[in-house]
Amino acid sequence: MTERKFDVLLPLDSSEVQRLHRNMKRRANRGRVWTYLGAGLIVLWILVPLFFLTSMAFTTREAVRSYPKSVLPFIPFSTDTVRFFLDQPGVVDGLWNSLIVAIITLLLSTILAAPAGYAIARYIFPGRDLVRLGILAVRAFPIVVLSIPLAVFFLRAGIFDSLYSLAFMHTALTMPTSVLIIASVFASVPHELEEAGQVFGASALQSFWHIVLPLALPGIAASSIFAFVLSWNEVFAAGVLTLENRTLPALLLVQLQQSSDAYQFAGGFFLMAPSIVFMFFIRNYLFNMWSQVTK
Amino acid sequence: MLVAPVLIFLGFFFAYPMYEGLRLSIWDDEAVLPLREGPSLKDSESGRLSQGVTVEVLGRQGNLLTDADATDLLTETWFRVAVTQPDGTTVDGWAPESRIRVREEGPDGTPLSGTVRPKLGEPDDPRTTLRDGPGEGGTEVAFVEPRAPAAIVEVAILEVWFNVRGTDPGESAQGWAPSRFIQVFGDEVTGRIDRGSAGEFTTEFIKKMFNDRFFDPAWRTTLLLLVLIIPAQFALALLMSLVIHARLKFNSWFLYVFTIPMGMSDLAVGTLFFSVFTGNGLLNSVLEGLGIIDSPHVFLSSQTRNWIILAIVVAEIWRSTSIVMVILVSGLQAIPDENLEAAELFGASYWQRVRYVMLPLLRPSVQVALILRTILALQVFAVVIALGGGDTVTVLTNETFRQYADFRNNNVAAAYALFVMVLSLASAFFYLRTVRTDTEIER
Repeated sequence: MTERKFDVLLPLDSSEVQRLHRNMKRRANRGRVWTYLGAGLIVLWILVPLFFLTSMAFTTREAVRSYPKSVLPFIPFSTDTVRFFLDQPGVVDGLWNSLIVAIITLLLSTILAAPAGYAIARYIFPGRDLVRLGILAVRAFPIVVLSIPLAVFFLRAGIFDSLYSLAFMHTALTMPTSVLIIASVFASVPHELEEAGQVFGASALQSFWHIVLPLALPGIAASSIFAFVLSWNEVFAAGVLTLENRTLPALLLVQLQQSSDAYQFAGGFFLMAPSIVFMFFIRNYLFNMWSQVTK
Repeated sequence: MLVAPVLIFLGFFFAYPMYEGLRLSIWDDEAVLPLREGPSLKDSESGRLSQGVTVEVLGRQGNLLTDADATDLLTETWFRVAVTQPDGTTVDGWAPESRIRVREEGPDGTPLSGTVRPKLGEPDDPRTTLRDGPGEGGTEVAFVEPRAPAAIVEVAILEVWFNVRGTDPGESAQGWAPSRFIQVFGDEVTGRIDRGSAGEFTTEFIKKMFNDRFFDPAWRTTLLLLVLIIPAQFALALLMSLVIHARLKFNSWFLYVFTIPMGMSDLAVGTLFFSVFTGNGLLNSVLEGLGIIDSPHVFLSSQTRNWIILAIVVAEIWRSTSIVMVILVSGLQAIPDENLEAAELFGASYWQRVRYVMLPLLRPSVQVALILRTILALQVFAVVIALGGGDTVTVLTNETFRQYADFRNNNVAAAYALFVMVLSLASAFFYLRTVRTDTEIER
């Protein structure tokens, strides 16, 4: 858009230019202070509720009931609330169910999405953009619309209320994200490396296995983790598709109205814990994914 | 092809339910009952009656049942019996279960033998008729005396068919239909079509949804939330992405904290903000600590609808701003640094650079983010349940869930889901038309 021609207009050592430069620097420094302040406020906005809920989960039940409340350093640390929550009927089963569904989802979506992501990143085939668009459309369409008919269908097929059918549903939901993340990962591995491998006598499969895959592995792992987190979090479909084999979110959803604060807070903590841990590993890949979509 | 598995999977778990959802909401599987010329599926159709029509029952007949799992059907059982007459001769034929008194059963409950029941009262002919086949349609082969011993040779279960006549608005029809579709009243000569066996297009479920007493508050609240959340959220997301774009020290940590909410479930965020807004929660504790209030303020109760909505708005902004930020940051990363440096050299202030350089170049990202966020905001669910219980403040997805889980009405639930989808498509279309990308404007 603009080419740099300023050096032609003004000699660089002129006092005019130096003054401008100083002003810019000062302004930039002042701006930086404001930016840090803003960043700090946003961090507080995000962390304060998280910290509060966590401190409620790790204290005594008396402290949960008390008012006005203080947070962790001032209230007794205790695993009382968490143990109380785990002792409630169905909770441990729900945790297991959630874990199983999330792991099946992780495996399925990675196995299915990895080849597709590779194809989208490497090959130009008819309908490539259509596939990309279609995958995005799946991400955007309401889970609500899918859950009810799937529940009816699963009932008819006799696989209603099974962890597998829920995992299938979750896989369909995570698939778009997985494909896009994996595509962005493969796209970031230079094609030349793969070609170089083939020049030196490796077969296409060998060069994929020994060169591309090791480079792409962290990214693929990130997409798997993302699938895991999505499945762990999903509430609506889990509530609709399960009855006896409730996952943790579905269990919490139906228990919510008739449960104590301690139960809710500890449950909320278990729901959010994986995302706090896993977002750390996958945050950078999220940007790649969206730059794939918006470009 | 490498993409094939994904497409097949999505076809099965995405396209199929989509189609099925559409069908559930506008197609009544049990709308009409085809009637037949005779009591058999092989007979040709003589007419159709809609569900709920009152009918005259003109006759009944049993048909040999082929499938075994007929537990909830109206059936008749017939025995093939060998009856020893008083004169010593044996006759063979079929009689209904009601005419034979079973005296001996096998270990598995199959009747083995019995006697012919006497008729009650003083009938003209006390003898029981045997026929050459199960059902009243068989020809008579013999008449046997009451109390004669009978060996039960064979058992047949018949499905009862009714010959009915009824008037569907305007058109009358008569014919045979299996009993499972017809409810016969106590007088045995009238009844109604209980359910049909053939589907028909219907707007009944959609009408039911529009007339549902929760429909109005649900869509109003959903749209209100949309209007309250999206602008505030985009402003905050822009701030967050500018912070990330400034590449401060510890940028990676800021990024981590900013994206935490993205990985959290709406239910978790619901409980999170329940802990903030509840009577003895964080907000009241802080307000009292600052001396602003003397006793805890009740935010979440059925009398404080506006507070609940505010709590939902805050929770949703907290939860879903991260995804907008991620989209905006990846858009910002695509803007060449040279553009911003040039603007700076020409003396543009920071806000001028944001306003005249970044924002116009961010249009495609903003468009994607708007579409995605609007569609996801139409689906807000667990946050509403966690903060408001789902009665005081209700949204469209909550009504879908209520219809499905509480009222067991899949069709109306599907109609609600369809409504959500129509709104989603309309909003996506709206943004595609109004938020034009710069390529269309400048070049």
